[in-house]
Order: sequence, then C-alpha cells, then structure tokens
Amino acid sequence: MELFYIFAGITIFGLIAYGLQIWAVRSTLKKNNGAILQHSNTPYPPISILKPLKGLDDNLFDNLASFCTQDYPEYEIIFSLQDHNDPAFKVARKIRDKYPEKNISIIVEKCDTGLNPKVNNLIPAYKASQHGYVLISDSNVMVDKDYLKEIVKHIKDPDVGLVSNIIKGAGGNTIGSIFENLHLNSFIIGSVCFLDRFLKMPCVIGKSMLMRKKDLETIGGFKAVKDVLAEDYVIGERIHKMGKKVVLSNYTINNVNEYWGIRRFLNRHTRWGKLRWRLGGIKYFSELLGNPVFMSCMPILLWEPSRITISFALLVGSVKVLGDYYLGTIIRKNEFEKTESSHSINSIPPFYYLLSPVKDLVIGFVWFVPILSNTVVWRGNRYIIGKDSMLSPCPETGMWSWRYRLVDAIKARIA
Amino acid sequence: MLLCDFHIHTKYSDGSVELRKTIDLYGQAGFDVIAITDHVVNGDNSIGKLAHRFRLSVTAENFDEYISNVKYEAERAWNKYEMLVVPGVEISKNYITPEKSAHILIIDIKDFIPACMNYEKIFLEAKQQDALIVACHPHHMSDMSRDTLFLWNNRDKYAKYIDAWEIANRDDVFNVISLKKYPYIANSDFHKARHLYSWKTLLNCKKDIESVKHCIKHNKGVAITLFRN
Repeated sequence: MELFYIFAGITIFGLIAYGLQIWAVRSTLKKNNGAILQHSNTPYPPISILKPLKGLDDNLFDNLASFCTQDYPEYEIIFSLQDHNDPAFKVARKIRDKYPEKNISIIVEKCDTGLNPKVNNLIPAYKASQHGYVLISDSNVMVDKDYLKEIVKHIKDPDVGLVSNIIKGAGGNTIGSIFENLHLNSFIIGSVCFLDRFLKMPCVIGKSMLMRKKDLETIGGFKAVKDVLAEDYVIGERIHKMGKKVVLSNYTINNVNEYWGIRRFLNRHTRWGKLRWRLGGIKYFSELLGNPVFMSCMPILLWEPSRITISFALLVGSVKVLGDYYLGTIIRKNEFEKTESSHSINSIPPFYYLLSPVKDLVIGFVWFVPILSNTVVWRGNRYIIGKDSMLSPCPETGMWSWRYRLVDAIKARIA
Repeated sequence: MLLCDFHIHTKYSDGSVELRKTIDLYGQAGFDVIAITDHVVNGDNSIGKLAHRFRLSVTAENFDEYISNVKYEAERAWNKYEMLVVPGVEISKNYITPEKSAHILIIDIKDFIPACMNYEKIFLEAKQQDALIVACHPHHMSDMSRDTLFLWNNRDKYAKYIDAWEIANRDDVFNVISLKKYPYIANSDFHKARHLYSWKTLLNCKKDIESVKHCIKHNKGVAITLFRN
C-alpha cells in the first residue's frame, strides 16, 4: 500500500505541474503585446527566409506555399537542399513556378561542414541570403499570411535578439500522427510556455527562429553549432547569454503531421529525449515525475491491479484527457481570434483526445531510452551525443562499437 | 521528366484513403500525372459477389458519380498542383486459381466496362473509348496478395491488345516483362498512405493526357524509379 501512496503523491505533483503548464500556455497566448507597440511605426525590414529541405514532409506543398503568400513588403525565400535527387526538390521547383512574382531561389549544394545535417543544409542558404534578418523555418510548418508581420513586430525592438513561436500540431490521419499532435499540443507546448513564463529560460524550437544576421554572427554563425544536435536551443541560449532577449511569440504556427507511423513518433521523441537528457541532466527526471498518467499506472505494474489502483489510474487518465482537450480548445480559440484562420488544416477532433493517456503511457516508457543509450540515428547517420548535445561520429570499429552494430543489426532484422 | 503513378485505389473500392486526400497526398509530394483506378470486380462468382456486397468495387450504378468526382478533383489538382489526374479503373477478374485471375488497368476510361465480360470484349471496348490498357502485376508477387497470372500465361493471345505491362508493382519487379521487351510502366498499386513510397514511372513527354498515352504506348522516354523519402 505504501507503494501506492508514494506513486499517488508523485502523480498529484505531476498533475499540479500539468496545471501550471496549462496556466503558462493560457497566459502566454493571452500575453499583452503592448510593449512592442512603441516600435510599431518602424518600417518592416526585409527578411530572408531560409528553408532547409530534406525529403517529403506531410503537406509539404501547402507548407511551402504558405510562405509565398505572406502579406509582407519585402522578403526572399531560399529553399536549400543537399542534392537534386531529393524528392523535395521537385516540390520546391513547383512552388517557384507557381509564384513567379516572388523572390524564390533554390540552392542545391552538398555541404558537409558539420555533423548536424540541418545546419549543413542551412550554411549555403545563409551565404546566399541578401537581407539583414534571417528566418529559419522548417519545412513542416504552415503559417497564415500575417505570420511575418506578427513576428517582426518583436524584433523591431533592438533589445530582442531572437523570436520563436508556439508550435501547434495539426492534421492527423494515422495513430503516429495523432500521438505526435497530441504530444505537441500538451507536453511540448506546455513545457515551452512553462519555461518561458515561470523560469524565464529561453527554450527555442527551430521550426521558426527570426534573428538579425549580425547577432547570429556575433555568436559564431552556423559554424558554431555545426556539430550540435540541438542547434536551435544552443543558438537561443547563446543569444540570451549575449544579453539580448529571446522572445516566444504568442502567434501559433502549425506543424502539420498527417501520415506518421508509430515508429516515426517513437524515433523523434527518443531523439528529443536524448537531447533533453544531455542538455538538462538531472532536470530530465522532472519529465518522468511530471507524467501523471505514467506515474498513476506504476502501482498497477509494480504492485497489483486492484480496484483502487485501476480506479486511480482511470481518474488521472480522465483528468489528462480533459486537460489536453482544454489546451486544444484555448489554442484553437487563440488562433481564430488572431488570424481569422483561413487554411484547411484541421485541429485534433475531440474524440482523439481519448488517446491522450495511451500516448502518455508510451512516452513514459520512451523516457527511459535516453538513460540507456547515448547515440542517435539522424537522417541515416549514427552519432554519439555528448555534453550540450555535441555530436561526434560513432566509431565503426573499436572495443565498444559492437553495441551499435548489434543494435543496427537487430533493427535491420526487425525492419 | 514527369513523375507518374497510374495505379491508385481510393475508398471507392478497397483503398484506405479518401479520393480527395489521395489527390492531396500525391499533389503535396510533387507528382505530375496520376491515374485513379478503383477496382471494378467481376460479380459472376462468390469472390466478386463478396466484393460487391462490401462495396469494394465500382459498379455500373455508381460509375458516373465516381467519374464525375474524379474529374472534379482532377480540376482542383490541376489548378492547385498542376498535376494531371486521369480517371481509370482496374478491371479485376478474380477466381479461385491465380492462373485464371487477371487485373487490367483501363486508363482514361469514359464509360463503364463490366468486369464479367470476356477479355476480348473488355479490350475492344477499352480501345473504342481510346483508353490505355495496362496489364497489372502480371507475374508472381512477393507479398501475401493473390497472384494474377492469366494474362502472362496467355500473352501470345492477348499481348496485341495490351498497351503496357507493369514491370514493377509497389515492391515487386517483374523481370520477365523486360526479357520479353514489352512496353512497360511501374506503379504503386496504392491502397495506403505508405504505398506512396514505391516503384513509379517517369515519362519524358508533355503534361497532357494524349501525350502521356502516346508516350506509354510507344514506350519511348519511359523510365522507372523507386520513389523513396
């Protein structure tokens, strides 16, 4: 029975933390933008949008097209790829042909300066960019036409060094993408807003990062993060240390995930988990303690499935379903208020929130993987993740390399 | 080169993705030409009757609705993605033995062709409609699907009617087509979203239906590619 009380206590702690996350999201979305009004008369500066492309993301055509219909005076879009055979190349070309009036360029250049493939993709695009402000934007995000104007409002303030956005999961036709969107719209959005509102910690997600070139160059440019897995987080942290503000805009952007398999969901969150374990160290344990569904199920697994343990887990699961649904509602409401949303990507249907506890349970088990493994396979290459998410190539020979070869062999066998 | 897939199923038969979503999936991925080819199953035996009962087949009754919806989506796809969508069907003659079974793609179909007609009649009717005739998965397949070997086993009799043979279908490659030097294309036999990543056809021709049909029939400027992400 003691075991049950211990886990019940941790669960209640987790629920309180979850409540604080909801509060943080709510207050971030309602954030008063009065402070930025003083710069509202400053003209909109020209912007270079850097779009690193690699493979086909769900909704890629619409995602890229949404950047071509921005209501903004002057901007250029640079699609950058590593080779012509990438299927995204054809889509980028179609977009360029569809919007001939826009300043769109496609750069195909094999760059292997660093170990982070996204940074390798960004370096040639950055070299080709013409404007003093750069926006790094992932290929899996879709925005409304007022997006650029909204985020530029913040960077007009000379004290602001970087602007990032709240990410909302959208779409979802398969179990993997439903899990992904539920996770983005609860744990990820909650954690980012919590760190920003309560701990004043910059937690930048690389899906949307607007900076001045001179600030980026002051911290060493992309070459300074070429071997870092969490290049977005590190850039944010370095700009913050430089004495500039890192702002989380309350303008939500859509991360469209429609046809993910469960394996892709597990791979991404294992990788992100490893990254947070390496960056946060001991703080990583708070994620497990802050997963009330997983904690409430522990007495069933470790002790016995009794009426009290099962009822408790069901009660916590129901609270989580309602909490996630509420979060989804306030995100959707905020989007309608701000953007008069016109795009066709659906929010999560209410029925899918019933899967939220199942997703939390899966994520609870995924949490342990980073403790056991310090390597990551990213875009086909295996790396060892070091301190501050610094990557180093995985040895193919040597005393301990058999572990990686064994894991690869097992994975290949399963595939 | 035009990136093409001429063998796609939707929820009109046994596909798991709705027509509109299927079109968007291909459009978002940058395809140039696709054909929607839902099954028209022969209803003259118990296998076919089951398919009709569970609405896994386009029928004479819903054919017009099917074609008009494909055409509506084709217009949308052209305006949005500049992707050519061609209406078609897969005539599916299913029998207990693989040796008797055959599947035939009729691409750019105009009027309904029942699958219970004999092969000559089907081919002649398709020719009359100026449609393209493709023999699909004509040889042994690697997955759990039932083989459809009739056309291959009777190729001496029927090859003259067939405009192209599937040299590759989803993950399978049929090298016998290459050895016989028949005109070829490669398709996904799309039923689920993940089937997008499979064998495809590349055509070196203009993006209009007549040029596409001409290119396939004459088999010049045709290549196949394993489309992967």
